[in-house]
Amino acid sequence: MAEEKQDLLQLYRFCFLMVADAAKAQEIFHATLREAAQQAADGEAPRDRLWFFRNARWRCLEAGEQGLQAEEVDFEPGEIADWAPTQIQKLEPEQFAIWVAAAPDPQRTALALFYLNEFSYRDLLSVTELKPPELSKLLSNGRREFQAWLDATLPVSQV
Amino acid sequence: MSETQLSRRDQILLHCAPIREEHVDDRALRTAVHHARKTASFAIQQNFDKAACALVQAIPIPKEIIEWVPTESFIIPPRRTWKKYAQNPVFLATGIAAAVIAVILIFQLVDRLNRFPGEPTARRLLTTASSTHSMILDPVKTNAGALGDYFFMKQRLAHYDVPSEFADLKTLGLRVFDDEEGRRVAQVWAVEKKMQFFLFPADRDPKTGATKHFNGWRYVDQDRWTGVVREEGGVCFMAALRGSEKDLAPYISKPKE
Repeated sequence: MAEEKQDLLQLYRFCFLMVADAAKAQEIFHATLREAAQQAADGEAPRDRLWFFRNARWRCLEAGEQGLQAEEVDFEPGEIADWAPTQIQKLEPEQFAIWVAAAPDPQRTALALFYLNEFSYRDLLSVTELKPPELSKLLSNGRREFQAWLDATLPVSQV
Repeated sequence: MSETQLSRRDQILLHCAPIREEHVDDRALRTAVHHARKTASFAIQQNFDKAACALVQAIPIPKEIIEWVPTESFIIPPRRTWKKYAQNPVFLATGIAAAVIAVILIFQLVDRLNRFPGEPTARRLLTTASSTHSMILDPVKTNAGALGDYFFMKQRLAHYDVPSEFADLKTLGLRVFDDEEGRRVAQVWAVEKKMQFFLFPADRDPKTGATKHFNGWRYVDQDRWTGVVREEGGVCFMAALRGSEKDLAPYISKPKE
Protein backbone atom coordinates (compact mmCIF):
# COMPACT_ATOMS: atom_id res chain seq x y z
CA MET A 1 0.00 0.00 0.00
CA ALA A 2 2.85 2.39 0.93
CA GLU A 3 4.44 1.52 -2.41
CA GLU A 4 1.26 2.39 -4.24
CA LYS A 5 1.02 5.70 -2.40
CA GLN A 6 4.62 6.44 -3.40
CA ASP A 7 3.71 5.60 -7.02
CA LEU A 8 0.82 8.04 -6.89
CA LEU A 9 3.05 10.81 -5.53
CA GLN A 10 5.42 10.09 -8.40
CA LEU A 11 2.42 10.32 -10.71
CA TYR A 12 1.91 13.90 -9.58
CA ARG A 13 5.60 14.66 -10.23
CA PHE A 14 5.24 13.12 -13.68
CA CYS A 15 2.24 15.35 -14.43
CA PHE A 16 4.17 18.36 -13.18
CA LEU A 17 7.14 17.57 -15.40
CA MET A 18 4.84 17.14 -18.40
CA VAL A 19 2.93 20.40 -17.99
CA ALA A 20 5.18 22.50 -15.72
CA ASP A 21 2.13 23.89 -13.99
CA ALA A 22 1.17 22.81 -10.46
CA ALA A 23 -2.54 23.54 -10.88
CA LYS A 24 -2.78 21.67 -14.19
CA ALA A 25 -0.71 18.80 -12.83
CA GLN A 26 -3.03 18.54 -9.83
CA GLU A 27 -6.09 18.58 -12.08
CA ILE A 28 -4.71 15.82 -14.30
CA PHE A 29 -3.65 13.81 -11.27
CA HIS A 30 -7.18 13.99 -9.83
CA ALA A 31 -8.80 13.19 -13.17
CA THR A 32 -6.58 10.13 -13.57
CA LEU A 33 -7.38 8.86 -10.10
CA ARG A 34 -11.08 9.50 -10.59
CA GLU A 35 -11.04 7.38 -13.72
CA ALA A 36 -9.16 4.61 -11.90
CA ALA A 37 -11.72 4.75 -9.06
CA GLN A 38 -14.55 4.61 -11.58
CA GLN A 39 -13.02 1.60 -13.30
CA ALA A 40 -12.42 -0.10 -9.95
CA ALA A 41 -16.07 0.50 -9.02
CA ASP A 42 -17.10 -1.10 -12.33
CA GLY A 43 -14.97 -4.13 -11.50
CA GLU A 44 -12.34 -3.28 -14.10
CA ALA A 45 -9.60 -1.84 -11.94
CA PRO A 46 -6.28 -1.01 -13.66
CA ARG A 47 -4.00 -4.01 -13.92
CA ASP A 48 -0.76 -2.24 -13.01
CA ARG A 49 0.72 1.10 -12.02
CA LEU A 50 1.78 1.85 -15.61
CA TRP A 51 -1.89 2.39 -16.44
CA PHE A 52 -1.86 5.57 -14.31
CA PHE A 53 1.15 6.99 -16.14
CA ARG A 54 -0.21 6.08 -19.59
CA ASN A 55 -3.52 7.65 -18.75
CA ALA A 56 -1.94 10.79 -17.26
CA ARG A 57 0.41 11.08 -20.21
CA TRP A 58 -2.40 11.58 -22.73
CA ARG A 59 -4.18 13.99 -20.42
CA CYS A 60 -0.97 16.01 -20.08
CA LEU A 61 -0.42 16.10 -23.84
CA GLU A 62 -4.02 17.18 -24.35
CA ALA A 63 -3.64 19.89 -21.74
CA GLY A 64 -0.36 20.99 -23.31
CA GLU A 65 -2.01 21.49 -26.69
CA GLN A 66 -4.68 23.73 -25.18
CA GLY A 67 -2.35 26.00 -23.19
CA LEU A 68 0.40 28.34 -24.22
CA GLN A 69 2.98 26.73 -26.44
CA ALA A 70 6.62 26.90 -25.46
CA GLU A 71 8.72 29.18 -27.56
CA GLU A 72 11.16 27.23 -29.65
CA VAL A 73 14.69 28.22 -28.82
CA ASP A 74 17.52 26.53 -30.62
CA PHE A 75 20.58 25.69 -28.61
CA GLU A 76 23.55 24.05 -30.18
CA PRO A 77 23.53 20.65 -28.46
CA GLY A 78 26.77 20.00 -26.63
CA GLU A 79 28.35 16.97 -25.07
CA ILE A 80 27.35 16.48 -21.46
CA ALA A 81 30.00 17.88 -19.21
CA ASP A 82 31.40 16.48 -16.01
CA TRP A 83 30.50 19.75 -14.26
CA ALA A 84 26.83 19.38 -15.24
CA PRO A 85 25.78 18.03 -11.80
CA THR A 86 27.02 21.28 -10.22
CA GLN A 87 24.99 23.29 -12.74
CA ILE A 88 21.89 21.13 -12.13
CA GLN A 89 22.17 21.58 -8.37
CA LYS A 90 21.77 25.32 -8.90
CA LEU A 91 18.40 24.83 -10.59
CA GLU A 92 14.95 24.89 -9.10
CA PRO A 93 12.75 21.86 -9.88
CA GLU A 94 10.29 24.17 -11.66
CA GLN A 95 13.01 25.26 -14.11
CA PHE A 96 13.70 21.65 -15.00
CA ALA A 97 9.97 21.00 -15.40
CA ILE A 98 9.66 24.00 -17.73
CA TRP A 99 12.50 22.66 -19.84
CA VAL A 100 11.02 19.14 -19.98
CA ALA A 101 7.50 20.39 -20.72
CA ALA A 102 8.85 22.44 -23.61
CA ALA A 103 10.27 19.33 -25.31
CA PRO A 104 8.19 17.80 -28.10
CA ASP A 105 6.51 14.50 -27.40
CA PRO A 106 7.50 11.62 -27.24
CA GLN A 107 10.79 13.12 -25.99
CA ARG A 108 8.88 14.92 -23.26
CA THR A 109 7.32 11.69 -21.96
CA ALA A 110 10.60 9.82 -22.24
CA LEU A 111 12.51 12.44 -20.25
CA ALA A 112 9.79 12.84 -17.61
CA LEU A 113 9.50 9.10 -17.04
CA PHE A 114 13.24 8.51 -17.15
CA TYR A 115 14.10 11.20 -14.61
CA LEU A 116 11.39 10.05 -12.21
CA ASN A 117 13.86 7.21 -11.61
CA GLU A 118 10.90 4.95 -10.93
CA PHE A 119 10.77 2.70 -13.96
CA SER A 120 12.72 -0.15 -15.37
CA TYR A 121 13.99 -0.10 -18.93
CA ARG A 122 11.14 -2.33 -20.11
CA ASP A 123 8.57 -0.18 -18.30
CA LEU A 124 9.97 2.90 -20.05
CA LEU A 125 9.63 1.24 -23.45
CA SER A 126 6.13 0.11 -22.58
CA VAL A 127 4.76 3.49 -21.42
CA THR A 128 6.49 5.55 -24.11
CA GLU A 129 5.56 2.96 -26.78
CA LEU A 130 9.01 3.46 -28.29
CA LYS A 131 11.58 1.08 -29.70
CA PRO A 132 14.98 0.89 -27.94
CA PRO A 133 16.89 2.93 -30.60
CA GLU A 134 14.15 5.60 -30.56
CA LEU A 135 14.18 5.90 -26.77
CA SER A 136 17.98 5.94 -26.83
CA LYS A 137 18.08 8.78 -29.36
CA LEU A 138 15.49 10.86 -27.53
CA LEU A 139 17.24 10.53 -24.16
CA SER A 140 20.69 11.13 -25.63
CA ASN A 141 19.56 14.22 -27.51
CA GLY A 142 17.65 15.37 -24.44
CA ARG A 143 20.78 15.25 -22.30
CA ARG A 144 22.82 17.17 -24.85
CA GLU A 145 20.11 19.78 -25.37
CA PHE A 146 19.70 20.16 -21.63
CA GLN A 147 23.47 20.60 -21.30
CA ALA A 148 23.34 23.35 -23.93
CA TRP A 149 20.48 24.98 -22.05
CA LEU A 150 22.44 24.69 -18.79
CA ASP A 151 25.49 26.26 -20.40
CA ALA A 152 23.35 29.10 -21.69
CA THR A 153 21.45 29.61 -18.44
CA LEU A 154 24.22 28.88 -15.95
CA PRO A 155 27.56 29.43 -17.69
CA VAL A 156 30.42 27.52 -16.14
CA SER A 157 32.00 30.79 -15.00
CA GLN A 158 28.99 31.42 -12.75
CA VAL A 159 28.92 27.93 -11.21
CA MET B 1 37.38 -0.60 -21.72
CA SER B 2 37.43 2.64 -23.70
CA GLU B 3 34.41 4.19 -25.40
CA THR B 4 35.72 3.25 -28.82
CA GLN B 5 35.67 -0.43 -27.87
CA LEU B 6 31.97 -0.35 -27.01
CA SER B 7 29.81 -1.75 -29.76
CA ARG B 8 27.29 0.48 -31.46
CA ARG B 9 24.52 -1.61 -29.89
CA ASP B 10 26.01 -1.09 -26.42
CA GLN B 11 26.29 2.64 -27.03
CA ILE B 12 22.62 2.84 -28.07
CA LEU B 13 21.48 0.87 -25.04
CA LEU B 14 23.63 2.84 -22.61
CA HIS B 15 21.74 6.03 -23.37
CA CYS B 16 18.69 4.32 -21.81
CA ALA B 17 20.52 2.91 -18.79
CA PRO B 18 18.49 3.60 -15.66
CA ILE B 19 20.44 4.79 -12.62
CA ARG B 20 19.09 2.14 -10.29
CA GLU B 21 20.58 -1.24 -10.99
CA GLU B 22 17.31 -3.04 -10.20
CA HIS B 23 15.72 -1.15 -13.10
CA VAL B 24 18.12 -2.74 -15.59
CA ASP B 25 15.77 -5.58 -16.49
CA ASP B 26 17.08 -6.40 -19.93
CA ARG B 27 19.94 -8.79 -20.56
CA ALA B 28 21.48 -6.84 -23.44
CA LEU B 29 21.30 -3.61 -21.44
CA ARG B 30 22.84 -5.33 -18.41
CA THR B 31 25.72 -6.50 -20.60
CA ALA B 32 26.17 -3.03 -22.06
CA VAL B 33 26.24 -1.49 -18.57
CA HIS B 34 28.78 -4.07 -17.51
CA HIS B 35 30.99 -3.22 -20.49
CA ALA B 36 30.71 0.51 -19.87
CA ARG B 37 31.05 0.46 -16.10
CA LYS B 38 34.59 1.82 -16.08
CA THR B 39 34.31 4.28 -18.97
CA ALA B 40 34.50 7.97 -18.25
CA SER B 41 31.61 8.93 -20.53
CA PHE B 42 29.23 6.53 -18.81
CA ALA B 43 30.26 7.85 -15.40
CA ILE B 44 29.57 11.41 -16.60
CA GLN B 45 26.16 10.35 -17.96
CA GLN B 46 25.26 8.62 -14.69
CA ASN B 47 26.29 11.64 -12.61
CA PHE B 48 24.29 13.88 -14.92
CA ASP B 49 21.22 11.65 -14.59
CA LYS B 50 21.58 11.35 -10.81
CA ALA B 51 21.64 15.13 -10.43
CA ALA B 52 18.56 15.49 -12.67
CA CYS B 53 16.72 12.76 -10.74
CA ALA B 54 17.52 14.47 -7.45
CA LEU B 55 16.06 17.66 -8.87
CA VAL B 56 12.87 15.83 -9.89
CA GLN B 57 12.51 14.30 -6.43
CA ALA B 58 12.69 17.82 -5.04
CA ILE B 59 9.45 18.76 -6.84
CA PRO B 60 7.21 19.73 -3.94
CA ILE B 61 4.01 17.71 -3.56
CA PRO B 62 1.04 19.94 -2.73
CA LYS B 63 -0.64 19.24 0.60
CA GLU B 64 -3.93 18.53 -1.21
CA ILE B 65 -2.30 15.71 -3.16
CA ILE B 66 -0.78 14.10 -0.07
CA GLU B 67 -4.12 14.28 1.73
CA TRP B 68 -6.13 13.22 -1.30
CA VAL B 69 -4.15 10.09 -2.14
CA PRO B 70 -6.70 7.37 -1.42
CA THR B 71 -5.98 4.62 1.06
CA GLU B 72 -7.73 1.95 -0.97
CA SER B 73 -6.01 0.27 -3.88
CA PHE B 74 -7.21 0.86 -7.44
CA ILE B 75 -4.94 -1.76 -8.89
CA ILE B 76 -6.03 -5.35 -9.26
CA PRO B 77 -3.77 -7.44 -7.02
CA PRO B 78 -1.58 -9.45 -9.36
CA ARG B 79 -2.70 -13.04 -9.75
CA ARG B 80 -0.25 -15.43 -8.23
CA THR B 81 0.76 -17.69 -11.05
CA TRP B 82 2.35 -21.07 -10.50
CA LYS B 83 5.68 -19.47 -11.41
CA LYS B 84 5.30 -17.00 -8.52
CA TYR B 85 4.44 -19.83 -6.17
CA ALA B 86 7.41 -21.80 -7.44
CA GLN B 87 9.74 -18.87 -6.75
CA ASN B 88 8.50 -18.51 -3.17
CA PRO B 89 11.22 -20.04 -0.94
CA VAL B 90 8.63 -21.56 1.41
CA PHE B 91 6.80 -23.31 -1.42
CA LEU B 92 10.10 -24.19 -3.07
CA ALA B 93 11.45 -25.82 0.12
CA THR B 94 8.16 -27.62 0.75
CA GLY B 95 8.03 -28.77 -2.86
CA ILE B 96 11.58 -30.12 -2.78
CA ALA B 97 10.91 -31.91 0.53
CA ALA B 98 7.68 -33.40 -0.85
CA ALA B 99 9.48 -34.50 -4.03
CA VAL B 100 12.27 -36.17 -2.01
CA ILE B 101 9.70 -37.95 0.19
CA ALA B 102 7.78 -39.03 -2.92
CA VAL B 103 10.95 -40.42 -4.53
CA ILE B 104 11.83 -42.33 -1.34
CA LEU B 105 8.30 -43.72 -1.12
CA ILE B 106 8.39 -44.76 -4.79
CA PHE B 107 11.74 -46.48 -4.24
CA GLN B 108 10.37 -48.28 -1.19
CA LEU B 109 7.22 -49.25 -3.07
CA VAL B 110 9.17 -50.59 -6.04
CA ASP B 111 11.51 -52.40 -3.65
CA ARG B 112 8.56 -53.93 -1.82
CA LEU B 113 6.89 -54.97 -5.07
CA ASN B 114 10.09 -56.71 -6.12
CA ARG B 115 10.43 -58.60 -2.87
CA PHE B 116 9.34 -62.22 -2.76
CA PRO B 117 9.46 -65.06 -0.23
CA GLY B 118 12.90 -66.64 -0.32
CA GLU B 119 14.65 -63.51 -1.54
CA PRO B 120 17.18 -63.48 1.37
CA THR B 121 18.08 -67.11 0.59
CA ALA B 122 18.44 -66.26 -3.10
CA ARG B 123 20.83 -63.42 -2.24
CA ARG B 124 22.93 -65.68 -0.06
CA LEU B 125 23.08 -68.23 -2.87
CA LEU B 126 24.26 -65.57 -5.29
CA THR B 127 27.20 -65.00 -2.97
CA THR B 128 27.77 -68.78 -3.01
CA ALA B 129 27.61 -68.73 -6.81
CA SER B 130 30.25 -66.01 -7.03
CA SER B 131 32.65 -68.01 -4.88
CA THR B 132 32.08 -71.55 -6.20
CA HIS B 133 34.46 -73.26 -8.58
CA SER B 134 33.35 -76.07 -10.86
CA MET B 135 36.03 -78.28 -9.36
CA ILE B 136 34.02 -78.84 -6.17
CA LEU B 137 31.03 -80.08 -8.14
CA ASP B 138 30.37 -83.69 -9.14
CA PRO B 139 30.73 -83.86 -12.90
CA VAL B 140 27.33 -84.58 -14.49
CA LYS B 141 27.06 -83.87 -18.19
CA THR B 142 23.46 -83.93 -19.31
CA ASN B 143 20.52 -81.70 -20.16
CA ALA B 144 19.39 -79.62 -17.18
CA GLY B 145 15.86 -80.87 -17.75
CA ALA B 146 16.94 -84.42 -16.87
CA LEU B 147 18.16 -83.47 -13.40
CA GLY B 148 14.71 -83.62 -11.78
CA ASP B 149 14.77 -87.40 -11.91
CA TYR B 150 18.39 -87.47 -10.78
CA PHE B 151 17.63 -85.38 -7.68
CA PHE B 152 14.58 -87.47 -6.87
CA MET B 153 16.26 -90.84 -7.37
CA LYS B 154 19.68 -90.09 -5.91
CA GLN B 155 18.97 -87.40 -3.30
CA ARG B 156 15.26 -87.96 -2.55
CA LEU B 157 14.57 -84.33 -3.43
CA ALA B 158 11.05 -84.12 -4.79
CA HIS B 159 10.05 -81.32 -7.21
CA TYR B 160 13.67 -80.22 -7.71
CA ASP B 161 12.94 -79.73 -11.40
CA VAL B 162 14.68 -77.30 -13.74
CA PRO B 163 11.98 -75.19 -15.49
CA SER B 164 11.47 -75.69 -19.19
CA GLU B 165 13.07 -72.29 -19.97
CA PHE B 166 16.45 -73.69 -18.87
CA ALA B 167 15.81 -77.41 -19.43
CA ASP B 168 17.76 -77.62 -22.70
CA LEU B 169 21.00 -76.19 -21.33
CA LYS B 170 23.94 -78.56 -20.94
CA THR B 171 25.31 -79.09 -17.45
CA LEU B 172 28.90 -79.53 -16.26
CA GLY B 173 28.37 -80.67 -12.72
CA LEU B 174 26.30 -80.41 -9.58
CA ARG B 175 26.32 -80.74 -5.86
CA VAL B 176 23.76 -80.91 -3.06
CA PHE B 177 24.50 -79.24 0.24
CA ASP B 178 22.76 -77.99 3.39
CA ASP B 179 22.44 -74.24 3.79
CA GLU B 180 22.77 -72.33 7.09
CA GLU B 181 19.23 -73.30 8.03
CA GLY B 182 19.79 -76.95 7.26
CA ARG B 183 17.72 -76.94 4.07
CA ARG B 184 18.81 -79.02 1.12
CA VAL B 185 20.11 -76.91 -1.76
CA ALA B 186 21.00 -78.25 -5.21
CA GLN B 187 23.60 -76.32 -7.18
CA VAL B 188 24.10 -76.99 -10.89
CA TRP B 189 26.83 -75.62 -13.17
CA ALA B 190 25.71 -75.05 -16.75
CA VAL B 191 28.00 -74.72 -19.77
CA GLU B 192 26.28 -71.66 -21.21
CA LYS B 193 27.63 -68.35 -19.92
CA LYS B 194 28.99 -70.12 -16.83
CA MET B 195 25.46 -70.00 -15.53
CA GLN B 196 24.55 -71.70 -12.24
CA PHE B 197 21.22 -73.07 -11.13
CA PHE B 198 20.04 -73.38 -7.57
CA LEU B 199 17.08 -75.34 -6.34
CA PHE B 200 16.05 -74.81 -2.74
CA PRO B 201 12.91 -75.17 -0.61
CA ALA B 202 10.55 -72.21 -0.74
CA ASP B 203 9.95 -70.23 2.45
CA ARG B 204 7.20 -71.52 4.70
CA ASP B 205 4.87 -69.79 7.12
CA PRO B 206 6.35 -70.52 10.57
CA LYS B 207 2.89 -70.87 12.15
CA THR B 208 1.02 -72.95 9.60
CA GLY B 209 3.96 -74.49 7.75
CA ALA B 210 2.30 -73.61 4.46
CA THR B 211 4.54 -72.73 1.52
CA LYS B 212 4.72 -69.04 0.69
CA HIS B 213 3.93 -69.03 -3.02
CA PHE B 214 4.67 -66.31 -5.54
CA ASN B 215 3.94 -66.08 -9.21
CA GLY B 216 6.27 -65.65 -12.15
CA TRP B 217 9.94 -64.85 -12.36
CA ARG B 218 11.57 -62.43 -9.93
CA TYR B 219 14.96 -60.82 -10.30
CA VAL B 220 17.47 -60.53 -7.52
CA ASP B 221 21.04 -59.21 -7.60
CA GLN B 222 24.05 -59.21 -5.37
CA ASP B 223 27.67 -58.20 -6.00
CA ARG B 224 27.39 -57.99 -9.80
CA TRP B 225 25.62 -61.34 -9.91
CA THR B 226 22.02 -61.53 -11.00
CA GLY B 227 19.51 -64.27 -10.45
CA VAL B 228 16.04 -64.96 -11.70
CA VAL B 229 13.84 -66.96 -9.34
CA ARG B 230 10.58 -68.90 -9.70
CA GLU B 231 8.65 -71.01 -7.24
CA GLU B 232 6.79 -74.17 -8.16
CA GLY B 233 5.61 -77.04 -6.00
CA GLY B 234 7.22 -75.60 -2.87
CA VAL B 235 10.67 -75.46 -4.47
CA CYS B 236 12.42 -72.35 -5.73
CA PHE B 237 14.55 -72.44 -8.84
CA MET B 238 17.16 -69.74 -9.45
CA ALA B 239 19.30 -69.28 -12.55
CA ALA B 240 22.27 -67.08 -11.74
CA LEU B 241 25.09 -65.52 -13.74
CA ARG B 242 27.61 -62.77 -13.49
CA GLY B 243 25.88 -59.93 -15.29
CA SER B 244 22.66 -58.04 -15.29
CA GLU B 245 18.96 -58.66 -15.79
CA LYS B 246 19.29 -58.16 -19.53
CA ASP B 247 21.58 -61.24 -19.71
CA LEU B 248 18.87 -63.42 -18.17
CA ALA B 249 15.84 -61.81 -19.75
CA PRO B 250 16.13 -63.70 -23.11
CA TYR B 251 15.81 -67.06 -21.32
CA ILE B 252 12.68 -66.30 -19.33
CA SER B 253 10.98 -64.43 -22.17
CA LYS B 254 11.06 -67.61 -24.29
CA PRO B 255 7.61 -69.16 -24.64
CA LYS B 256 7.21 -72.39 -22.71
CA GLU B 257 7.28 -75.52 -24.86
